[in-house]
Amino acid sequence: MQMRSLSTWLILGLTLTFLIGPFIIIIFAGASAGNSLAFPPDGLSLKWYLKVFTVESFRASFLLSMFLAVVGTLFALALGVPAAYALNRYKLPGDELIRTIVAAPIIVPGIIVGLALLRYLVVPLNFTVGMALFFAHTALILPYAVRVVSSSLNNLRSDMEEAAVLLGCTRVQAFFKVVLPNIRGGVLAAFILGFVTSFNQVPVSLFLSGPGVRTLPIDMLSYMEITYDPSVAALSALLAFMSVAIVFTAERLLGFSRYV
Amino acid sequence: MKTSISTAALLCAIAGMAHAEKTLTISVYSFAQDAYKEALYDPFEELCGCTLVVETGNSVERMAKIEANAADPVIDMAVLSTQDALGLAQKGLIAPIDPATLTNFDKLYASAQDPIGGHMAVGYTYYASSIVYRSDLVTIESWGDLLGEAVKGRVALPNITGTQGPLTLMMLDKAAGGTGEDLSGTISAIGAKADDIVTFYSRSSELTQLMSQEEVIAAPIGRFAWGHFKQSDLPFAWAEPKEGQAGGMNVMVMTKDNGNEELALQFMDYWLSTEVQTRVAEALIDSPANKEVTVSDEVAENLTYGADLINALNIMPAQTVIDNREAWVEQWNADVIR
Amino acid sequence: MFMNKKEGLILALPAALFATLLFLLPVMILLSEAFRIDGSWSLQGYVDFFAKPLNQVVFLRTLKLGVLVAGTAAVIGYAAAFCIVNLPAKSRGRVFGLVVLPLMISPVARTYAWIVILGRTGIVNDVILGLGLSDTPVRLLFTETAVFLGLLQLFLPLMIISLVSAMENIPRDVIPAARVLGASWLQVFFRVILPLTKEGLVVGGTLVFTGALTAYITPAILGGSKVLMLETLLYQRVNVANDFVSASVIAMILMVMSFSANLVLKRIASARS
Repeated sequence: MQMRSLSTWLILGLTLTFLIGPFIIIIFAGASAGNSLAFPPDGLSLKWYLKVFTVESFRASFLLSMFLAVVGTLFALALGVPAAYALNRYKLPGDELIRTIVAAPIIVPGIIVGLALLRYLVVPLNFTVGMALFFAHTALILPYAVRVVSSSLNNLRSDMEEAAVLLGCTRVQAFFKVVLPNIRGGVLAAFILGFVTSFNQVPVSLFLSGPGVRTLPIDMLSYMEITYDPSVAALSALLAFMSVAIVFTAERLLGFSRYV
Repeated sequence: MKTSISTAALLCAIAGMAHAEKTLTISVYSFAQDAYKEALYDPFEELCGCTLVVETGNSVERMAKIEANAADPVIDMAVLSTQDALGLAQKGLIAPIDPATLTNFDKLYASAQDPIGGHMAVGYTYYASSIVYRSDLVTIESWGDLLGEAVKGRVALPNITGTQGPLTLMMLDKAAGGTGEDLSGTISAIGAKADDIVTFYSRSSELTQLMSQEEVIAAPIGRFAWGHFKQSDLPFAWAEPKEGQAGGMNVMVMTKDNGNEELALQFMDYWLSTEVQTRVAEALIDSPANKEVTVSDEVAENLTYGADLINALNIMPAQTVIDNREAWVEQWNADVIR
Repeated sequence: MFMNKKEGLILALPAALFATLLFLLPVMILLSEAFRIDGSWSLQGYVDFFAKPLNQVVFLRTLKLGVLVAGTAAVIGYAAAFCIVNLPAKSRGRVFGLVVLPLMISPVARTYAWIVILGRTGIVNDVILGLGLSDTPVRLLFTETAVFLGLLQLFLPLMIISLVSAMENIPRDVIPAARVLGASWLQVFFRVILPLTKEGLVVGGTLVFTGALTAYITPAILGGSKVLMLETLLYQRVNVANDFVSASVIAMILMVMSFSANLVLKRIASARS
């Protein structure tokens, strides 16, 4: 038994080192006192962590990415929750088709989405790059929204709503008073999943950028076209802490992982 | 893809577009737009009482846009590489620029005055291109050293698709005793040594990192990227190869029948003026093509500056690039990156 | 189940219309582009694409790396998942959290770290030189090895998560019972664990394979132009040459590869039941 647990921890230790190690390196590389990315760092300093906040384009692209992640996810939920509800509770003609259509964005590689929207929405129809980005990010989150919300609707028996309707609620009232409170956790899980997916999305945004309209990951890449100084490492570490904090809080409050 | 200069846009909005505002649409490379705004765009708008609309993007994108709107040009004026400008000229998309309309024309270096013939373009900036190397680890005296034993497995070359690529090939050919015109032998030679080359880079920033971790100890770069190396504490050196430095130039062109010629010419003339060229040089954005510009030694160190240097640059004729580019890329893809 | 079809459609249609008009339609047009050369329908775009040796190399490399990454992830994933499900409940949650953690971190950051790790003066080379495995530093950056490691690190968590949830469904006593009855660990794996976790393996495998095909940052930064993959080739064709025919061909190849992986998933999952 001693051997067993030794090998267990060895396997897990190696796997986790492989998965988490690079992240630890980024944290330290960002805290370097030197001018280039190095590990171990040439002395420790917080100057690159502080510099991140002074780079103007990072601020603008952070706000854009935040907007896309928050508003895009909310919009996807506004589309996805009713769709998931309809697919779960109604006998729809062509429901398989609808299911496939709303799930499609998960299968199409992001770079193709970005290129297609640039070429057929932005160029000929005069959509702005910002709008195209918003649509692309929303479409990308839609499948998660539908799937996660569907699975929590599955766990909710429909007699509750039927009872509410029998007791005089309209169907809409029944949804908001009975269904929504019960799938709250699922909706929140979908929101967080959508947020993280959108915020870290790269390929979709590769072609969808213009002056002043750049998501944060793309901005980090283009910053790296000018210099490889450790501020990108510092920024990466800060963003990771932010994501982890959000997920951790959600987990503590709602047991988020039950829904994923 | 549009940015209008914000202050002007604001004024426009306040005026409620009551009177027809003069507007000039220019198409430029996307780098250093903040610095350009300060050094060039804002002062020009004040001077002309007009609005500048600045479109940016990579050159393929911008060329495609000029071509697509040939019948009714959206872009009035663009800055491009010499070969892209020649490409547009051959398609009849740009108009000649009458030297008499540019008060600063005579101040330009001779090679900038009519770089692609027919007065279709005017050069506004030069860049030298040579080899940066770790002087503590290796010495570079010739372009040929790039394929030598001393840097084997620790050299990076520019990818053929960028502007630095063909320049490097030309100089390698010259180092091997060629004339720098037929590059197929050089491409094969690189292909044979492809495994000894760390990477074919497309961004010079990547090189700064690779060279500080000793992954790469020598690589050809444009002078505009030298600043990043110089800042470093490591012993980087700029080679003065016996075949000389390579170089290139970016040019201004004016689209044909854009109906805005007068303003476009005024803008070009302003950009070429000693005043603007000095400001742009001091901001370390572009090296001057105006020979009256004087800058401090410290600024000059980061630029391609001075008559001696500029007149000695090995510049590849735009025609050569246009005629051969496709064949080069084809051979490169087959022999080198496989 | 409510029977009012109209009401249901009203609820489902906005999502379906949105996905169709702003997503599927543009993607379809892009995919059709390679079939419309000079205004008429033809397969010439595909013929030309595959006639170029570079494109063949890139296609095969992408396929190879995709399969290798998915395969390696499966091997490591089984070992790790087996360990995780056998942990006491408290540490199980923590370890699982650490496995999920990298998914929250931007792929830019995760890829970026490898430049330092795999460099000539990086940790991997320190170890190689320290152990005397080589006299001179080994060149790792801009090789398939670098891209492989980067992709594996990026997508391994997806495999582990899938396998952990599959293994949680294995009845608790099955494995000890098989051991008591004299089965070797190898037999236990192939006769008991594998059949019972097939579904998880297929889900994880598809996610990892598709992820590896369509990742951009990792091949771009760790492979560059020496290790082009379909995704980086597509970007290059569009940005350097405005070549939308090649872009459309590559898009179709990527889609077909993803779909095939997805089909294989469904096939195997249904074969089980």
